[in-house]
Amino acid sequence: MSHGPSASGGALVAAAPHGHDHAPYTPVFTAGSARRAELDALITRYPTKMAALLPALWMVQEERGWIAPEAMSEVASVLDLTAAYVKGVVTFYTMYHQHPVGRHFIQVCTTSPCLCAGADKVVDSFLEHTGCKELGVTSPDGKFTVIEVECLGACGFATPVQINADYVENVTPEKVPAILAGLK
Amino acid sequence: MTAPMVNLTIEGRAVAVPAGTTILEAAKVAGVLVPHYCYHPGLPVAGVCRMCLVEVEKMPKLAPSCATTVGEGQVVHVYSEKALEARKGVLELLLINHPLDCPICDQSGECELQDYTFAEGRADSRYREPKRFNPVEDFGGDVMYVPNRCILCTRCVRFMDDLAHDEALCVQERGDRASIGKATEKDLTHPWAANVVDLCPVGALLSKDFLNKARAWELDRTASVCPNCAQGCNTIVETRDNVVMRFKPRTNTEVNQYFLCDEGRLDYRWLNRADRATQPMIDGVLADWEEAIHAAARLAKGATVRLVANASLSNEALYLLKRAFGPGVITVRTGAEAPLPGASDLALRADRAANATGAEWMGYRRVSAPLEGLGAGDVLVIADHDLTGVSAEAVSRAKAVIVIGTQVPAAVTAPNVVLPIANMAEEEGTFTNLRGRVQRFLQAKAAPGMARPSWFVLADLATQLGQPAVHFTAGAVFDALAKAEGAFAGLSYDTVALKGKLAAGATAGARA
Repeated sequence: MSHGPSASGGALVAAAPHGHDHAPYTPVFTAGSARRAELDALITRYPTKMAALLPALWMVQEERGWIAPEAMSEVASVLDLTAAYVKGVVTFYTMYHQHPVGRHFIQVCTTSPCLCAGADKVVDSFLEHTGCKELGVTSPDGKFTVIEVECLGACGFATPVQINADYVENVTPEKVPAILAGLK
Repeated sequence: MTAPMVNLTIEGRAVAVPAGTTILEAAKVAGVLVPHYCYHPGLPVAGVCRMCLVEVEKMPKLAPSCATTVGEGQVVHVYSEKALEARKGVLELLLINHPLDCPICDQSGECELQDYTFAEGRADSRYREPKRFNPVEDFGGDVMYVPNRCILCTRCVRFMDDLAHDEALCVQERGDRASIGKATEKDLTHPWAANVVDLCPVGALLSKDFLNKARAWELDRTASVCPNCAQGCNTIVETRDNVVMRFKPRTNTEVNQYFLCDEGRLDYRWLNRADRATQPMIDGVLADWEEAIHAAARLAKGATVRLVANASLSNEALYLLKRAFGPGVITVRTGAEAPLPGASDLALRADRAANATGAEWMGYRRVSAPLEGLGAGDVLVIADHDLTGVSAEAVSRAKAVIVIGTQVPAAVTAPNVVLPIANMAEEEGTFTNLRGRVQRFLQAKAAPGMARPSWFVLADLATQLGQPAVHFTAGAVFDALAKAEGAFAGLSYDTVALKGKLAAGATAGARA
């Protein structure tokens, strides 16, 4: 069974403390900041502030790596929404992280065609070589989190793997160490 | 301007309702209850549960009756095969992740999922897979959330958003993982938040106060009025074995709609106090009622009487006290006003007393120091007043003290006469709320020991004091009161009934 990265009911366990993720939350959209300017410019393109919610959340995730409850409150106040509403949206979409994840977020496609092509072995290889051991668990060095995802839309290039925003195609278990070595 | 009437047929019954009415509400007029979960008359329509699907002739699909307005000539079938089949399907899906833990669920017996499944659901389950599990969550205030039982009707979310204006809740996650979420820094401590427990059609939102205390079917229910502030929300007092277990709101669109504030609903334990005055006493010695009434009358006759009355006594008691002793003084405990912003003119009122309006209409004076200026030769009559903040020394200035109450106040060390009376849950009567609405409450439990209803005791006492008041029921007292007191003119106990009536005093310059 595969779970999105945000699946509270699934295998995802909050990562072990590492780096900045458990530090007190630092606001993203402070007055005069570049992100604030970016968001303000974006808001002008929509009829309502509410419409800028998804991009605002993406900005938070890019800056902080995940969307903390404090971030929901910050976004809510910036966009004149309620924290409860923002929470509803954050939890609805599986691509917003509700827990800290590794710097390299590795999503392996395990939908039927990829599974036929051996995607489960690819998953095992990633879990072993990253040191994550389990799906959804961040590696002790804080670098990696591996999850299974549903169709990445690259069935012709099984098995595709999405690492943060980039696709790596035709991945086999043997290629995994080289792929990981190429990540900073 | 009234809306034009629309004629339609529901389950073969012709009904005429104002244009714009929903089919679900029109069906109520026809005497048909369409099963529903997300719909609630006090909340905005959501249309998410699909339980109220009905068949409307000439409509291509089944219609959600909560969100479909009536049309001229419509023919609605609530119990057609197609409608029943659809609702059976909805119920089956709702029960997929429902734990069916009715034997340990507080909602059991008053659960709409139970009721509709019994009425229209499948006899068995085809679902064999493991059910979803999420742990119980404390939502703060008086509310506990059991996500496994939740059917995601969103009544609670809409109440917090649209009535309380305190957006604490949302639907979190999606699909089969969805549940009610609480914003991290929020909780259900809004003064009206516990209404979500009443609104929840299943056992997902429970009162922590009532948790595991009683089963719904063990409770006796009595129409009453909340005695804890001047709003006068209509309530149902629920008792078991002569003990008040909880207050629930009773619908009255003129006063409290469907709601009851947390402070009001949770402040019921004083009705169950065990340290009550239960026996008539004369100088600390048990007496029978006849003797005690005579003793009290002898003390008061010809004396200067200081009457200190509880502002939550019934109109009837206050009227008879006035007849016996002339109007006295009241004190009113006050607190912060807490409105329910989404409802009009509904708040936990600053005056935390049920009947200050009625008392003031009858000439009682609101004071802060009830014993101020008490003369050495005066007779002090304490009418169910607790004398908070009054010293025993101040009381001892009185020549004699007559306590007519549920308790003997701590400041009264040696009462000359004690006449034990019933509290508001043990008698019937009326209160006048801050808008001048006279409302009846009924007897929910028996009074302890030899305590008698206040109107019964006071009618005897007034008679002994030369003010003949021969009444055999609380209603007769009220009708006499309505004749004697201009503010209540034109009312009768029968017309006040269970929804209350605005009194003449309400229009003639009652307090705002």
